[in-house]
Amino acid sequence: MSQHDRTHHAKIATGKGDPQCFKGTTGGPPKFKVGDRVRIKDLPDIFYTRCQVYTRGAVGEVAVITHESPAPEDEAWGHVDHSEWFYIVRFKQKDLWPEYPDAFGNDSLQTEFSERWLELA
Amino acid sequence: MSASTRDEVMRHLKAVAEIQPPVQQTGKAPYASDLTHEQYRAYLRSPHDVGGEVDVPVEWTEEESEAWGYRAYVTTECLAWRGVWCAEQRRRMQNVDLGTTQYLGLPYYGRWLLAAARILVDGGHITLTELMNKLDEVKKRHEPAR
Repeated sequence: MSQHDRTHHAKIATGKGDPQCFKGTTGGPPKFKVGDRVRIKDLPDIFYTRCQVYTRGAVGEVAVITHESPAPEDEAWGHVDHSEWFYIVRFKQKDLWPEYPDAFGNDSLQTEFSERWLELA
Repeated sequence: MSASTRDEVMRHLKAVAEIQPPVQQTGKAPYASDLTHEQYRAYLRSPHDVGGEVDVPVEWTEEESEAWGYRAYVTTECLAWRGVWCAEQRRRMQNVDLGTTQYLGLPYYGRWLLAAARILVDGGHITLTELMNKLDEVKKRHEPAR
């Protein structure tokens, strides 16, 4: 009964893997470089994202430029036509949690974002 | 049959009341003017985004893997190979779409299984009627003989 598109994800990723199958699909260089100070944007929360709310508005440092892929917000409905660069951003725990103890002031946390969530701090 | 079904329905309604979150506001389905922005944002929060929420320490326990869990996992992978969905669609359906109560209350692979059934119905691969009939058939198979 369904007319599902079999050229979907499974086909483009076969033999390459995901996210490797999206390499080169942003059509441009990453906007940020390793070491850049970036602030996490507070975009609207609706239906789906992988951008944890506890990071919004916090400033961290780009630790790794990881890969290109459709953003989770698009891929979660099977849209793979538009890709973004992804970054691992490193935060000081104290910058995320106001009550984090000074004794552990060097603790850090790394998590991943697509480019839409970042702006230069 | 009918009497025991009614018993089950009554037990079900009681169980539902027990898993409801504490009622913190009076009334349900409020007027928009009675809802603050903070409340709106809290209601729209994704169930899987638990970072920063108040909670108690979780005790780490090693659990035996169960065969049905492996089968649930393999089922979802097969659906991906056949182009029915991709991993991110699966994560949305099993971690977010089902809501906080199911996210926190059901076994991990139970959510994978529910998501697999859901994508088959949503994608039109099977109808909900077909799924209900199959579930009913399997359930009867496991009911004690009368």
